[in-house]
Order: sequence, then structure tokens, then C-alpha cells
Amino acid sequence: MSALLQLTDVRRHFGGVHAVDGVSLEIEEGTIFGLIGPNGAGKTTLVNVVTGYMRSQTGSIRLTSPGGTAELARRPPHAIAGLGIARTFQTLRLYRNLTAIENVLIGMHTRRRDDTLQQLLPLRPLMRLDDRRLEEARKLLQTVGLDPDQHGDRRASTLSYGDQRRLEVARALALKPKLLILDEPAAGMNPAEKDRVRELIQQLNADGLTVLLIDHDMRLVMGVCQRIVVLNFGRKIADGPPATVSNDPAVVTAYLGSHAPESASHVPGSEEMDIAATAKPAASAEPASPLLEVRDLEVAYGAIKAVRGVSFGVGKGEIVALIGANGAGKSTILNTLSGVLRPHAGIARFGDLDLTTAAPDKIVRAGLAQIPEGREILARLTVRENMELGAWARRDRGAAHREIDELMKQFPILGQRQNLPAGQLSGGEQQILAIARGLLAHPSLLLLDEPSLGLAPQMVDTVFEVIQRIHTEGVTILLVEQNALRALEIADRAYVVETGRILLSGTGTALRRNPEVQKAYLGG
Amino acid sequence: MDFFVQLFTNPVGFYNQHELLIAQIGINSILAIAIFVTFYSGQLTLANAGFMAIGAYTTVIMTLYLPTPLPVNMLAGAVLAGLVSVVVGLPVLRLRGVFLAIATIGFVEALRLGVILNVPITGEGQGLKNPTADPLGGIVPILISLPILAYLVWRLTRSRLGQAWSAIREDELAASSNGINVPLYKMIAFIISAVLAGYAGALETHINFFVDPTEYGITRTIQILTFAVVGGTTNVFGPIVGAVFLTALPEIVRQFMAYRDVVNGIILILVIIFRPQGIVGRGGLAIIRPRWWTRWRARERTAAAH
Repeated sequence: MSALLQLTDVRRHFGGVHAVDGVSLEIEEGTIFGLIGPNGAGKTTLVNVVTGYMRSQTGSIRLTSPGGTAELARRPPHAIAGLGIARTFQTLRLYRNLTAIENVLIGMHTRRRDDTLQQLLPLRPLMRLDDRRLEEARKLLQTVGLDPDQHGDRRASTLSYGDQRRLEVARALALKPKLLILDEPAAGMNPAEKDRVRELIQQLNADGLTVLLIDHDMRLVMGVCQRIVVLNFGRKIADGPPATVSNDPAVVTAYLGSHAPESASHVPGSEEMDIAATAKPAASAEPASPLLEVRDLEVAYGAIKAVRGVSFGVGKGEIVALIGANGAGKSTILNTLSGVLRPHAGIARFGDLDLTTAAPDKIVRAGLAQIPEGREILARLTVRENMELGAWARRDRGAAHREIDELMKQFPILGQRQNLPAGQLSGGEQQILAIARGLLAHPSLLLLDEPSLGLAPQMVDTVFEVIQRIHTEGVTILLVEQNALRALEIADRAYVVETGRILLSGTGTALRRNPEVQKAYLGG
Repeated sequence: MDFFVQLFTNPVGFYNQHELLIAQIGINSILAIAIFVTFYSGQLTLANAGFMAIGAYTTVIMTLYLPTPLPVNMLAGAVLAGLVSVVVGLPVLRLRGVFLAIATIGFVEALRLGVILNVPITGEGQGLKNPTADPLGGIVPILISLPILAYLVWRLTRSRLGQAWSAIREDELAASSNGINVPLYKMIAFIISAVLAGYAGALETHINFFVDPTEYGITRTIQILTFAVVGGTTNVFGPIVGAVFLTALPEIVRQFMAYRDVVNGIILILVIIFRPQGIVGRGGLAIIRPRWWTRWRARERTAAAH
């Protein structure tokens, strides 16, 4: 076997962000190759570089086929597709208003001889070619598990979510690719659908197709791939067969997050952690009279059920964490509580307020503030202007300004930079700005969505210190985190969320010792 | 009412009485095909009035100064419009949506104010007299060209080229992942559209004795756009239906002649509200199909499926 695709020192920086930072890898012909890594690790950027949507700033990308070797860097996407690399997109990109068959027919573009002039005078042989293409498109639909009679003439947008994902694979296969890149093909699917995706990938591979699979679902990736590369912060941190990779300490740390600095050298589950854990008093299981109460909450995006019956409570003065892999439904839960999304079923109460019907501004006034994922800082305004906008809705301007001054003193990181454009702050500083801005709403319950996302380890420490300080000042905190071990360290109680359900719950210390937590992340 | 009575009872008399209207319907239909091509490839370009002007002026100037026969002059007008579209398209087609629309309107205005009104050979805003115009003979090439062009463009939309246009319209990013050279196919659509508009401009000069620079401004651009919006752009017949309907309308309701633009505006708003896909949507002329028909068809289909 030989390398079909060879990447050497591929680099893609966006300003100071090193999305892909010198990655080299080889994909053997005829294999299923996995590319994994936590959120923001650079997986999709790498795929975009390989398929020509972004330029690599250094290095080379070589595709070797019987016809010879081709350098892909600096070629436009359509030319790379023409060389036999087909891809699907993380967010579905079907031709929504065209039928399923039309979608697949367009996928054959590179193989179809230009018949534009002949089509102007439709003669017999042309009709035969048209019929043959149609027959092939129907077969491709069957390959991915769609019924051409039932689905073929339906517009792509009317198909169910899972069928749309399958159709996108069929469209990619229509290219007759040498390499098929699947970017999170199982995202948002339930376990049964995921099994069907797994079977499809294995079947395509058995027919001789080389597959590059990117997914967050470790069970899927570990189950089908012969070789796996793990990315973190744009760098390759592990490369090898699934068994080796899943036991690599660097991978475990990347997925479960780092611990507090003093225990950073320890692998999760080791004995020393218990010592740190005993320092925190064990909290009771469920609060008797919760500040926030959620019962059987269900939320769906169209056909995708993101939250499938979740119940939990947050007591006054607690820090509660929701942890779980990407796509588990954590952010959806927070967005529902803050009134941005509406649930399909279930109860969510904050004190006397019904969160399932109350308007978002009313929820904020009642004392529930959310710091959204990605911070939502206005990059061109100064730090101080960002803060002032946070107080915009308030009537007591004078008091608000005094509070901003007070917060600037409390968070010297912000005070020293108050006249700088917020876009020039580092990710962690922006996160602190977002939190400080949220505090202007005088929340009694603060919802924090992935505060450590994309931050360097030292910055994560700073952000978590800020969270703990706010908590000691009397604010109840509901925290969503991918950095599970870190969140469990400060949380009184936590819930592990997986595919829209609560898998486990317990005190932070208990969950940290639980091997199931590790399993939920790495797919055991 | 007289309009329709005459159309059905005395078609020959109708034709003789309304020859200019019929010629104008034909020209507007060709313009409608021109804007359809760019719409079909997902581009909101409003440059067609400019390409019309190029076709019109080229044809008349050649007729005035060169001994070449009229068909050659007309084709030269269309070809020159196509050549200019390459030069305009190279920078402009990098834009999308409303930005593309604004840039193409800019081209139309720059051409009119910058070139036509300043170059002596074009009459500098006074317009050009076309002594060879032949209103009665000029209708013949229009009526021959229209069905041929409509047929060719209809076939084009079913070819590899047309499917690439559909793909680009739906999702450019996905189209390039399917190996479609997006800038190239957009450019092809832009050129075809410009050639058609240039040809329509050339045809129009032959039924008017005068080339009027004010004809090729924003108003004309918007008029062509309404053909496509009212008719619908799912297939080539939509904009043609829109062009026929909107061109004939002032003749049908003569009492509203003075409020022509108002009536057009009201129709545009009604279509956008009640039938955003245009009169001719997917599956043909839905507006002339009563509700019970669709329901009956649906029942037939489910019966056949069982």
C-alpha cells in the first residue's frame, strides 16, 4: 500500500490564531483514516486547506494516484475536486431547492462530458446518455440507503435530517472520488442512525474507497478507523492505530481538559486527585428548593432533537456544571433557559418565572444572565464601550457608570486596557470582559457557556479564578464546559450530558473519579 | 375589454392595429430571457440596459457610417455587448447579491453619463436619428428570434452548463466541491445575458426612428427586473410571461395609462406578497390552476401509489 494523500508541514494561521500549525500526515490508499480533536483543534480548517477552500501558508499537499502525483496547495477547490477528492460539509450544504436526483446528477459534473451544444438539438444518443446518468444517480441513492422511488424526486430540503446527510454522501460519491472526506457525518444523529453511518462507511471502504473521517463521536471513529491522527491547538499530538491513540495521555488530557496547575502532571483517575478533592465539602445531591428547576425539557431544531428530556436543578449559591462532548446539547439547554430558544416540551422555572414562555429581556431582568459561547464581544469598540453597552438598558446611568468603574478595579486586566479596542484583547481577556459585562445585569444566576473555549492553559486558570470569585460574592453559577475535569474541580454538582440526555449526575468530586466520565468523552 | 374581443374575433386586424405593441412585447421578452440567464446562475445583475445601449448604438452607428448589411450590424451590436461584458464581468462578478446589483447599476450609469453623453458619434445626449428604421419590417426578425432564443435557453438549462448554473445558484461553496468552476460558469452566464440584451437593443433600433439615451437608464433596468420577478425564474418561460403581461397591460387597461408605473408597482407588490416564486412557478402556470385541481391531482397520485 502507498500513501494516497501526503501532507507535509501544512500551516494556516489567522492573525495570531494558529488554526493549523505545521501538520504532517499520510493517508494510505484503501484505509479509513480518522481525524479527531477537541472543538477548535483545527480539523475543519485542515480539511478546508486540503480541499482548496483555504490556502496553506507553507508545506505541501500531495495526491498520488496511478496517473501521477499532483500538488494540491494553491489549486482552487473545483480543480481539487476534479483530481478526485470529494467532501461533505460539517453544516449540510445540499442544493436545497433541487430534487435528490438533481443533487446527485450535479455531483457527476467532473465526469460528464460537456454536452451543452448537443443538448440544444436533443437527439437519440444523447437521450440514452441522459438515461444512463439517471440510472447511475438512482443506484447511488440506493448505495447510501435512500429509496430512489420514494426520495428521488423530492426536494432536498424536504428530506429528513438523516436522509439529507446521506444524500450529501451520495452527491460526493457521484464524483467517483479517490478520497472521500466526511466532515462530521454523524453530527446530530441518534445512536441507531450513527450505526447506519458506520455501516455505510465500512461498506464504501470494502468497495475500495479511501475515507478521511472527522467526527467528535469517539465510538464511531475508534470503531471504524484503521489509523487516527489527533489534533489539538492546530498541532498533531498523536498518530497511530485507535488502541494506541485512545490510551495516549496527551489525548486524554486534550479531551478531558487539564487539571489545576498543581495536579497537571497526573492522569485522570489517579489516586492523588482525591486529596485535592477532599478539600471541598461534599454537597448534597439535589437542592430541596431549587433556584432553577428543569423537568423533562425537550428542544428540537426542525427534525433534529437536540435535547431529549432533561431534568436538573440548581440551588441558591451552588456551582453546577453540565459537561459532555461537543454536540451533546449543552449549549441548547442554556439557550433555552435564557429564552433564546423555545422548548417543545417540559418545564423550566427560575423562581416564579416560567422560562419556557418569558421573553429574553424579562428573564435577564429577573436576574438570569447568560455569557454566550464565543463571548460576543464587539471587537471595534473599546473595552469600556463594551461595558457601557452592557448597561445600555439600565435607567440608572450614574449608578451603572460607578459600577463599571468598580468592575474595572476588580478586574485589573480590563482596567488597564479599558481604552483599547476589545478585538485586541486575548481570548481569555475577552472572556473576562464578557463575564464582567454580564455582571452589570446584577444576575442572581449566571449561565456560562464554554468559558475556557480556545484558551491557553494559563488563561483557563485565570478565567476559572474569576468564576470562583464571582461565586463567593453570592452569584449562583450554571457552567457548561468541554474541559470536564476543570469544571468538576470547581463544581458542587455536575451532570454529564450525552446526545441530549443526562447520562450521569453527582457531586463534582464523585464524577471526577468516575470512569464512566472518561468513557463518555473517549468512547472507552 | 375591446382588446381581448378583437384579439379573438379579428386576429389579423388586431395584429395590424397593435404591431408596435407586439414588437415591443417581443423585445421585452428577449430582455426577459437575458435577465433569466443571470438569475438562473444566481446572480442579481442589473447591467442589461447598458448592454442594450451598446447593441443599439453600435447597430445604428454602423448603419449610418458603414456599407455593411443590417443583419451584420445587428449581430455586431450583440457581439460588442458580449465583449464589453467580459471586461465588466472580470472585476464585477466577484461581488454577490445586492453588491453585484449596485455595481452593475453603476456600470449602466457610467456608460450612459460617461460615454454616450460625451462621445460625439453617439449624438451626445441628443440621441441618434435612424433614417433606415422600418417599423413594419422590423417586427419579423423579432418574432423569428424570440421562439428560437427561448428554445435554446430552455435547452441550455437542461445541459451540463445549466446544471452547473443551478448548483451555483443554490450553493456556490458546494458547487465548487462538486468540481464546478464557479467564476467561469458565472462569467459564461453574464456574457450570454449581455449578448441577448445587446441583440434586443439592436432589434429595438430597427422599429424606432430614434435612439434615445434616456431609454437605457435605471427605469429600463428596473422594468426588466420586474419581468423576472413577476413571471418567476424557475424556468425560462416565467420571465417571458412576465414581459408579455407587463408590456401588454397598459394597452389592456387604457384608462390607467397615466398611472402606468403605479399599476406596475402595485402588481409587483401583490406578486411578491402572494406568489413570491412568480406567476410561473415550479410545475407551470399555477395561477390558472384552480385549487380543486391540485387537490384532485394529489388524491389521484396517492391512489396510484397504493
